[in-house]
Amino acid sequence: MKKTAFILFFLLSTVSLSAGDFVTQFLEKCIEEKKPVNNINIGKSMLEKMASNTDDEDLKKTFRNLNSIRIITCDNIRDSRLYFKKANNLALEEFKDYQELVSLNEKNAKIHIYFKQESEKLQDLIFIGLDDEEKLSIITITGKIDFASISKLSDSLNKEMKIDNHGETPSMDKGTK
Amino acid sequence: MKPTEEINALLVKYWKGETSLEEEDSLTKYFTGRDVADELKPYTALFQYRENLRCATLSDDFDRKLKKAIQQKKRENDYITIRIFVPALRIAASVAVALSLSFGVYMMIGKNDKTYFAETYSDPNAAMEHATFALDKLSEALQKGEEASIESIQELNKVDLDWKMLDSITESDINYQKSTDSLPLENNL
Repeated sequence: MKKTAFILFFLLSTVSLSAGDFVTQFLEKCIEEKKPVNNINIGKSMLEKMASNTDDEDLKKTFRNLNSIRIITCDNIRDSRLYFKKANNLALEEFKDYQELVSLNEKNAKIHIYFKQESEKLQDLIFIGLDDEEKLSIITITGKIDFASISKLSDSLNKEMKIDNHGETPSMDKGTK
Repeated sequence: MKPTEEINALLVKYWKGETSLEEEDSLTKYFTGRDVADELKPYTALFQYRENLRCATLSDDFDRKLKKAIQQKKRENDYITIRIFVPALRIAASVAVALSLSFGVYMMIGKNDKTYFAETYSDPNAAMEHATFALDKLSEALQKGEEASIESIQELNKVDLDWKMLDSITESDINYQKSTDSLPLENNL
């Protein structure tokens, strides 16, 4: 009996400590079964491989500094609107220690970026956006985030995307929940 | 020399501690025998006791008893150690162990860069598309944010504000304003 209680306590404390990631919480708490989203996860080892695959030095450096990129997208406009609201509520309620870095509410784009600096090398960023077609994108990035470099990356990225995808936007057909 | 005198002489030596082992044996033999002179009978008990001591041997189960006694002593020591661990201390120790294990696991997860999710792709080129998509979105958002801030400042500049007047308002002006506000109406007139 005592052993069982001990194991349960250990497991519960481990789980409660480790379930903090925004995307995980969003998938667990906000997603409705009939309104699926696409989920893409890129970890440290994949980012390392990608850094070695690219010739662009800025992109290489950015990938090497990051620990993970997680993406959620939704193609349905109505669902996107619903999830945009839910995601922002989740960020405001459960991620109070994050600072709101960007908040844009324009006709053709709605964007919220939340940011938390845990240490010099470990920062967390949550991007919640509705694009001009009102499609949802939630992106979380962890690692050493250099905003100055990232904001200048557009050209390198466009070049890289054209090389990989012949100019087409990536199709989010993996990891549907 | 009469035997009694001989024994007396040996006894004198015995009290002085000068007797040899053989002499002591002959004394013991005399006093444990039947022909002890009446005047020497008070010493019989002493030599009888010596004889008994000499005859004393270890019993057959001495080793077993000794081992048992040692083990029992050891068990008593163990028992004392356990007793020191009163229930409250045991609970505290369990909690401490559980917390340190949990913290260890948490740190391990943290050091693994929080990759406690399944990697979607095994091909870097496929992952590259989405990574660039994410970074492009972020880059675009940061640029838009920057542009919006600049626009806000420009809009603020367009507003006809007398910045010099605002800057010249000192703390004493504000305090004066507060004090006049608090006065009754007739005083202000």
